Amino acid sequence: MKYPRLSAALSAVLFNLTFSGTLFLNGCATAEKPAVTAAADGAPAAVKKTESQNVDPYESFNRVMFKFNDHLDDYLAKPISDAYLFIAPSIVKQGVTNFFSNLKDINVVINDSMQGKFEQGAEDTGRLIANSTLGLLGLVDVATDLGLKKHEEDFGQTLAVWGIPRGAYLVLPILGPSTTRGLPGSLLDIAANPSTYFGAPVQVISMLNTRANAEGSLKFINEAAIDPYLFTREAYLQNQQHLITDGKVSTHVDILPLEEDLEDPLDDKNNAATGKTKPGAEKTDAEQENMRTEQALAANAYAETDAKIDALEKKLERKRHRHRHRHVLPKPETETLAPAPATPEVKPAEPQAPANTGG
Amino acid sequence: MLKNVFSALMLIICCTAAAPAAAEISARQVVESFQNVLLDSMKQGKDLGFKGRYDKLDPAVKKSHDLPKITRIVVGKQWEELTPEQQTKLEQVFTRLIISLYAHNFNNYDGENFSFVSEEETGRGGVVIHSNLHVPNDKDIKFDYMMKKKDDDWQIINIIADGVSDLALKRSEYTSVLGKEGFDALIAKITEKIDAYANAQ
Repeated sequence: MKYPRLSAALSAVLFNLTFSGTLFLNGCATAEKPAVTAAADGAPAAVKKTESQNVDPYESFNRVMFKFNDHLDDYLAKPISDAYLFIAPSIVKQGVTNFFSNLKDINVVINDSMQGKFEQGAEDTGRLIANSTLGLLGLVDVATDLGLKKHEEDFGQTLAVWGIPRGAYLVLPILGPSTTRGLPGSLLDIAANPSTYFGAPVQVISMLNTRANAEGSLKFINEAAIDPYLFTREAYLQNQQHLITDGKVSTHVDILPLEEDLEDPLDDKNNAATGKTKPGAEKTDAEQENMRTEQALAANAYAETDAKIDALEKKLERKRHRHRHRHVLPKPETETLAPAPATPEVKPAEPQAPANTGG
Repeated sequence: MLKNVFSALMLIICCTAAAPAAAEISARQVVESFQNVLLDSMKQGKDLGFKGRYDKLDPAVKKSHDLPKITRIVVGKQWEELTPEQQTKLEQVFTRLIISLYAHNFNNYDGENFSFVSEEETGRGGVVIHSNLHVPNDKDIKFDYMMKKKDDDWQIINIIADGVSDLALKRSEYTSVLGKEGFDALIAKITEKIDAYANAQ
């Protein structure tokens, strides 16, 4: 069975990449079509453009980078990775994967604490200790067998939890898909990961391992995608959102725009039945589309801030627990923070009104 | 035990198809019976081959998925600009693609299992069924099914795997190809995918 591994592989791969190979695709002939033709078309292309411009203002640059990475993979990374997959016994491959996964758990622990996820941080610290000792420097993943689940956290997610906006989609040479927020995130990830400082041979093995583990998902994308560039972009952005929110809000965010669209064509149909759609209708359609994307963005932003507030509240709660006997700092902080999201509009208006009538 | 429950469910569904007045089937049951057919197809995957899996999944997919609606969503606003013939053609081709996708990717069984997690109302009469796919020696994968009522039956309109929406992915691709290269190119590309799945093995 391969299908479900798409998402598993996406979450495992798209987010941890240290190597180009992860997101290169073979034979993406569709990517060659220049964007110029889009401009020649009428309304639908224009509408489409506003939609993607929000997420991907540098699409033409990104497509070039995507293509570059694709070729690099075809001619360099994939042949080496295929040879490795063919030659290396599976116990070796698993050991290598475990070893680098264990080193990455250091990043996970750091980011757990920076996002205020202390319980999860404890679990991940346990993983790190168990795997580094019992697991022979991480070669064996004993922690999972002990019931300690692996988590996915990194600096990009931490920046998101801290409220830094996602920014534009970027395809980086060699590094692959990212965003203006993800770029500093992945640089920090690389800097915080010990394998970065082990020297060139270890780096090469790390890259090889990452590329080899991505083989399945790359094959899936290659099989399923009509436009691999778009497929990768959408999958990356959605999966990133899923990781940032720990899977809590992704369905809601996703449902909104699809549902809106779903109701709309039905209404249009009724219009078309009574009398052909007016020429002016197209413009309002475009406007509606813009509004809808704005709404979706707002929902996105809301979800992100919501997650952030949640994390902050949890953090403060824990701080209060820890410093229960010191009433100096944490208490006023929580008081100012707690009512902020709930009350700003409604409450202040009410007491003022009677005061005015009285005066 | 579970298997018995599932087959019982299948029976119920078959019966209701024959006798429309029977008790209503919940959204959860629709999802679970579909997942059951999928697992069955995986278990017999090697014996059936692609064609066998396709034929087995064909009625199950058509029954549990609202394919006309999915087809309309997947091309977004550009649905209105297609002629009725094009709309019918797209729906046929797209249906074949969905079934091929299932038949190709769910092709063998390594002890996977689905489990129900929760049901959630989404407004506008929609429901999301959250479920997990347990993969031995691997992390669970979240499968969220967006359901809508069509006439009196619940049907799947989208599947979100670990936060990645199948429909949204396809939609961004299809609307782009339609806008840039037109309807015939889109059909050609989808057909190419179907053939590749059928010949892949």
